Formats: sequence, structure tokens, C-alpha cells
Amino acid sequence: MRDDPYVVALVTRAAGSDQGAWNELVERYAPLVWAICNRYRLSNHDIEDVGQNVWLLLVEQLGKLREPAALPGWLATTTKRECLRVVTTAQRLGTRLDDAPEFVDDVMIDEEILRAELDAGLRAAFAELPPRCRQLLSMLISDPPFTYAEISATLGIAMGSIGPQRARCLGRLRRSDALIALGAGDCTANTPGGGPGA
Amino acid sequence: MPDGWDDEQLLAALRESMRARQVVPDAFVDIGKSAYAWHNIDAELAQLTYDSSRERDRDQVASTRSETASIRALTFTSACLTLELEVTDGALVGQVIPARAGTLETQTGAGAITSTPVDEIGCFAVEPIPASPFRLRCRMADGTDVLTGWITL
Repeated sequence: MRDDPYVVALVTRAAGSDQGAWNELVERYAPLVWAICNRYRLSNHDIEDVGQNVWLLLVEQLGKLREPAALPGWLATTTKRECLRVVTTAQRLGTRLDDAPEFVDDVMIDEEILRAELDAGLRAAFAELPPRCRQLLSMLISDPPFTYAEISATLGIAMGSIGPQRARCLGRLRRSDALIALGAGDCTANTPGGGPGA
Repeated sequence: MPDGWDDEQLLAALRESMRARQVVPDAFVDIGKSAYAWHNIDAELAQLTYDSSRERDRDQVASTRSETASIRALTFTSACLTLELEVTDGALVGQVIPARAGTLETQTGAGAITSTPVDEIGCFAVEPIPASPFRLRCRMADGTDVLTGWITL
């Protein structure tokens, strides 16, 4: 994983006293914490408990993170540890008898980190697009998808222009700083089990 | 970012990235944002130096099971004071050592703060037991200001 200067800047600002930078970090990485909790099949109540602890621990660590770029790894490891704490407590109390934790290994955790970084980069890149592109792409990725006729009527563009505009908007998305920061051409992001920095 | 993606693959990845954010409840994200309230608290940090539940795990092989209903006891230590805690049925009771008067603040992760008096022999009782996680801040009359780590019961 490459050092994303934007994330490094967010961590530095949050270590000062910038609530806005902190909020952005939480928005960016909450899906990572959430996804790992789901791997452990925790209840929603336990997930909130784990999430709260993870963010509280990060608040304490903000000024001490030696490499802000290593934040996703730190969050994943801390979330995993908190999940295991919840699961072991439940097992000791006899309220949980399955063996979910045994199926969560480090390869899965690494996959979640890589996916979270890719997703966060894509969302950040999308947010940087001009409003017209965001509208068009939103309609194209909605589920169920809009037809070209509906898109044409809603956005007021000719049906024949949708294809070229789609290509232009995706081109801008590809060239955005947020995606380039992830390391263009770094195919490890697409390879299950490919470790960071491979 | 896989370089070789065509437009269809890029659109699919974008759709997936949005979905990954949408499945996360806003309440979960808000909990994370409110954690920032505890940034830069200017107090000495006390470390957890004893936790009866951990001791019990360690001793489980050797011990009998007669103590399953035993009281949870925790000790936090800093350079200036030691804080001893016991969790009873409905309250969190404890003592500040060396004994002195002051105020004990209970801070929950959600940001709520409640104050409890500490008497001149250093004793206090917090009722009801605060929601986990919480931390305790001892603001003593002599100016000592100590904060524990996060406690989850």
C-alpha cells in the first residue's frame, strides 16, 4: 500500500485539534471496522461496542502513530483484537457456542484492508468529480439501474451523448489524485492474499 | 488501483464502494465521531495493573469453580495515586490511595460525564454502574488529576 498524502494530512490535522479531519477519518474507515466486525458475526450491539472502543483507542494514539500511512493496518488489528475480546467473553459466559473466530484469519483481514483502501479511494475520487459527472455516474450505478431514456429525461442530455459523457467521467475518475495515491498499476489490490507493499 | 480495468469494471468497483459505505449505519459512524471529545485531555494517565477477571482466566485450570459469583476487582496505578475498584451488584465502589478528598468524574464513551464525591478517606460509590466503556478521572482537592484507561465490564 502506498502512502496516501491525503490520509497522512488528515491524521496530522486530527492529532492537532481538527474535529473535521477526525470526522473524515471516521467516515473513511468506519466501513473497514464494520466489515471486520461482520467477519466475526457480532450482534449490532457488540459491533457498536467494538467500534466505540476502537475509535477511543485511536484518539489516544493519534499523536503517537509513527507512520500515519499505517493507519488502516492499525485499525484492522485493533478491531480484530476487540472482536476477539467480545467473542471470548461471550464464550466464557456460554452465550456463544459457534467457532466463528477460527475462520477469521490474517489473510481475510488483509483482504478487508485492501478492499477498504480501494473503496475509500474510489469514494474520494467520486467526491472530487464535477456535479454533472456525479449525477450521471450515480444513476448508472444505482440498483436497479436507470435506463438511458430515464437518464436522458432526468439530466436533460441527448441519449447519444450519454455514452461519451460516461466515458469522459470515468476517465476523470481514473486520473483523480485519490486513485493515483493508491498506486496505479499496483495489482496486489486485486489479488486475494496479496500483502501490502508486495 | 488496478490499472487494467475497463469502464465496466470501474463502474462495478464504484458501485461496490458506495454499497460498502451504505451498509454502515449512521449511528455507528456518529459513535466514532463523538470519540474525539476525549482528545487532548490534560490529565496523568493511570495504567491498569490488576484485573481479577484476567487472573481468573489464568488460574482457571487449577482453581475450583466456587468463585464464579466473585466480585470483579480492578486496580489502576499512576505515579501520584492508586485507584482500587470493585464492581458490586448495583454500584462501582472504590478508594483512592493515598487517601484524600476530591471528585471522581465518570466519563462514558458516548461523552456523558457524571461527578461523584470522594470522601476524606478516599472512598466513593458510583451508582448505577456506568455503561461500558467508561473511564474515571480523579480530580483531587490537592490538585492531583489522574485519568484511567477505558474500562469495559
